[in-house]
Amino acid sequence: MPDGKANLLQGTLDLLILKALQLEPMHGFGISVRIRQMSAEMLTVEQGSLYPALYRLEEQGWLKTEWGVSENNRRAKFYALTAAGRKQLALEERSWAKLSTAIGFVLRGAP
Amino acid sequence: MTLFRRLHRLLRRHRVDEEMRAEMRAHVELESQRLQREGIGASQARARAEREFGNLAQWQQRAREQSGAAWLEHWQRDFQQAARLLVKAPLLSLVIVLSLAVGIGANAVIFSWLRGVVFRPIPGVSEASKLVLIEPRNDAGAYPGASWAEYRDLRAALPAVQDLIAFRMLPLDYGPPGHEERAFAQLVSGNYFSGLGVPPEIGRLLRENEAAVPGGMPVVVISHEFWVNRFAASPDVIGKEIQLNARTLTVVGVAPEGFRGTVIGLTFDLWIPATMSSVLLAGPSEFDQREARNYSLLARPAPGAEAPRLQADVTGAMATLARRFPASNVGVTADVLPFWKSPRGAGRFLFSGLAVLQVFMTLVLVVVCANAANLLLARAQSRRREVGVRLALGARPRHILRLFLAEALFLGFLAAVLGSLLAEWGTEALRAVPLPGAFPFRFETELSVAGLVLSGTLGVVCALAFGLAPAIRSARTDSHLALRAAKDNGGRTRGRGALVALENGLALLVLVIAALFMRSFLESRTDDPGFRVSGVLLGQYDLSGRKYDRAAGLALLSDLLGRLNAVPGIESAAVASRVPLDFHAMPSAGFTIDGAARSDGGKDRALAYAVTPGYLELMGIPLVAGSDFVPLTDSRRGPQVIVNEEFVRRYLATGTPVGRRIVVGPASYEVAGVARNALYETFGERPKPVMYFSYRDWYSPMGQIHVRTRAAESLASSDLRRTVQGVNPEIILYDVRTMTEHVEKNLFFRRIPARLFGILGPLVLVLAATGVYAVVAYSVARRTTEIGIRMALGATRGRVVRQIVSESLAPVWLGIVPAWLIAVVIMIHANHGVLVLSILLGVPALLLAVVGLAAWLPARRAAGVDPVVALRAE
Repeated sequence: MPDGKANLLQGTLDLLILKALQLEPMHGFGISVRIRQMSAEMLTVEQGSLYPALYRLEEQGWLKTEWGVSENNRRAKFYALTAAGRKQLALEERSWAKLSTAIGFVLRGAP
Repeated sequence: MTLFRRLHRLLRRHRVDEEMRAEMRAHVELESQRLQREGIGASQARARAEREFGNLAQWQQRAREQSGAAWLEHWQRDFQQAARLLVKAPLLSLVIVLSLAVGIGANAVIFSWLRGVVFRPIPGVSEASKLVLIEPRNDAGAYPGASWAEYRDLRAALPAVQDLIAFRMLPLDYGPPGHEERAFAQLVSGNYFSGLGVPPEIGRLLRENEAAVPGGMPVVVISHEFWVNRFAASPDVIGKEIQLNARTLTVVGVAPEGFRGTVIGLTFDLWIPATMSSVLLAGPSEFDQREARNYSLLARPAPGAEAPRLQADVTGAMATLARRFPASNVGVTADVLPFWKSPRGAGRFLFSGLAVLQVFMTLVLVVVCANAANLLLARAQSRRREVGVRLALGARPRHILRLFLAEALFLGFLAAVLGSLLAEWGTEALRAVPLPGAFPFRFETELSVAGLVLSGTLGVVCALAFGLAPAIRSARTDSHLALRAAKDNGGRTRGRGALVALENGLALLVLVIAALFMRSFLESRTDDPGFRVSGVLLGQYDLSGRKYDRAAGLALLSDLLGRLNAVPGIESAAVASRVPLDFHAMPSAGFTIDGAARSDGGKDRALAYAVTPGYLELMGIPLVAGSDFVPLTDSRRGPQVIVNEEFVRRYLATGTPVGRRIVVGPASYEVAGVARNALYETFGERPKPVMYFSYRDWYSPMGQIHVRTRAAESLASSDLRRTVQGVNPEIILYDVRTMTEHVEKNLFFRRIPARLFGILGPLVLVLAATGVYAVVAYSVARRTTEIGIRMALGATRGRVVRQIVSESLAPVWLGIVPAWLIAVVIMIHANHGVLVLSILLGVPALLLAVVGLAAWLPARRAAGVDPVVALRAE
């Protein structure tokens, strides 16, 4: 893995997208930038792979979309969390926390 | 995501694709701008942005799959595979599609018809379902009709009614003297057409003031068909004078095509102001006679007027009339009825008959679905390996579900298309059914859009009904088990057993109903009606338009009958006001015995009609007591009546009936004789009390001439015509037919359902057998090994077959026993409490024999297998 960047675990992309949208609606590019920022440039996604994930989350009813105008005055599709999406985010955050704790234990060989 | 959004997206698929591409391009663009801001050259930044994004087309394809836009493509693929099923299993598909198409088609035909009767009861009148009848009802519960005076009063007394129209039927003679033909007219109020909202085809329709003065306004509106047939659709017809009952009327307009008048099932040619009746009938004016209840009243409620309010208004208005005119109106109130419940015309008959048929058809369709489900379940069982392979190759259970549902929907779709074609054809066939006789009856039915929508919906619903169980069963397949086991040795059969039970139970019900109909139909052909049908010629005359009073009419009748009796080919002749087993209900009259009123003050009612002396003998109805009427011209004896045995049994059981007095209306009639019971209204009716009156005492200007002939009755028709012409050339004889033809007409309405049942009964039997055959065939195919072991252990072939058949018939028994009990209940209700053992025992026996055979055939084949071969097959 070049530049010491971590590869994305299967299934975590959904969590990252939901988290990225927690504060405000964003368009696709904005989400990819936000994920990079939040992970301090540690995590990168192959940028195109964002879109199947976005459409899947919309299909599941966790995201809603709206056409708006981007910062450079272009038409852009904005994604926002739905109520179900917020619930799902909370759920995934909890299960992720459990998982990472568990893996932490395993790696430290404790308790 | 909801189905609606999905469909929406499907329909906008290309637009969604475009948006997706635009969105991704914008992403690449923004990324390249970001890189440029970091100091990378424009072309290099662009290339890097594109590289980092990856293959745009590929991501787009993935996104499309995730978004559900691939839905259509998947279904398309599944439907293609489903179409292949047709080729792979043509017989199975054919059985399912054909049986389903018949079921759907029959339902669509009946549903369209039923819907037409209820929602479009008056052809050519829009929103006819909003119109209601106001029908006076007497204390005997009968609807005698309204008098013209009542119509006038009600029109003024009902503010909740926007238009109140009145009409009555009048057959009359059209054409110049000597060339008359029978035509059917409605005498109507002046607001008839405006109230119905019917516009003229050409000319104008009737005006309010044209039906204001008795005897006024000799104008006539003709029907479109009459215009086309008699006037070659010439516009010159307006202003033309035509002869009706030897009076001259002026044609003012033509009614629009499709408008046939306002009695369900009947087609009228002419509409004449009701005030013309005194002229056309040459009798006393009926306008002030409150007893002359000849009219039907049809109302268009004012906007916002609810049915309960209208009924309350009508009840109040009738109560007022009863106080003001006690002689005619005491005990008479009125009901507000939807048009299809009209007590006149074929409406009520049609509705109840169609409702029964609809229930029957629905049952048939359920049997068909159960059968299809059975066949598909059996087939799904044999496709376990295929499903196992699909699952092993990565198909998800929901893909399997979709595949199986697609197959079912495909079959359902084909069946719906074929069913619609069958329905169209069936409706055309129904409309083309010719009706014998002079009555202008026609089937008013067309395949409505609603009927076609029903076909489509039934196709989908049935597909889901019979496709869901096999689909779910297959989707639950465990791929390891399915692939490992060469044959499925377990497998739940409970679901299929239940389907077999349902199918056979319903089949039994349907067959019993069909058998009952067939039996009553066949019986009525061999039944003794109580009179001699063959050798009688009938002809109708009507003196009501001529200048004959009662005395002149009686003299003419005596003269006519005397001359007819003298004709060599004629054995005897008589006249009756009605012919039994007619299309219409017989008139009845209320009476009291010896003037003693019933304890509750009401009156008993019996069928009543007028005959001439010699009528009973001509009909072959023997007198069991007393004697025939005195001659028509004999005025020495008082009024006479002859009653039948049933009348005696009910009302004159004590003492000798002959000589007792029966009071009807103002007159008292002496019982002259007692006649043997006969059939009067329908075949299969229970004995009805009847009063025969003499034309002498119960005069009517109309009559049916009965002639008993020595040779074939049709040969006498010219004799009859010549004799009538000889008495008075002005009298027109119409509707000349033999009694046999007349009775056939009565059978007509039974013949259509009988034919329908004759086709559907065997079909249902075949379906039941197919279902059982499929289940047994597939289950023995799975049990080859077991059968082989048994036979290797010494079981005889016969024993194996017996066991398979009896096991297979267990669910059949489970279905037909409760169904049989229901059939008994139905029979008790439908057949006056008489249980027909031949049907109750014969139908289950037939059903069991057929399904037993269907089980035996595959069982014998399975047992015929060599044990060694069977065991090696594992």
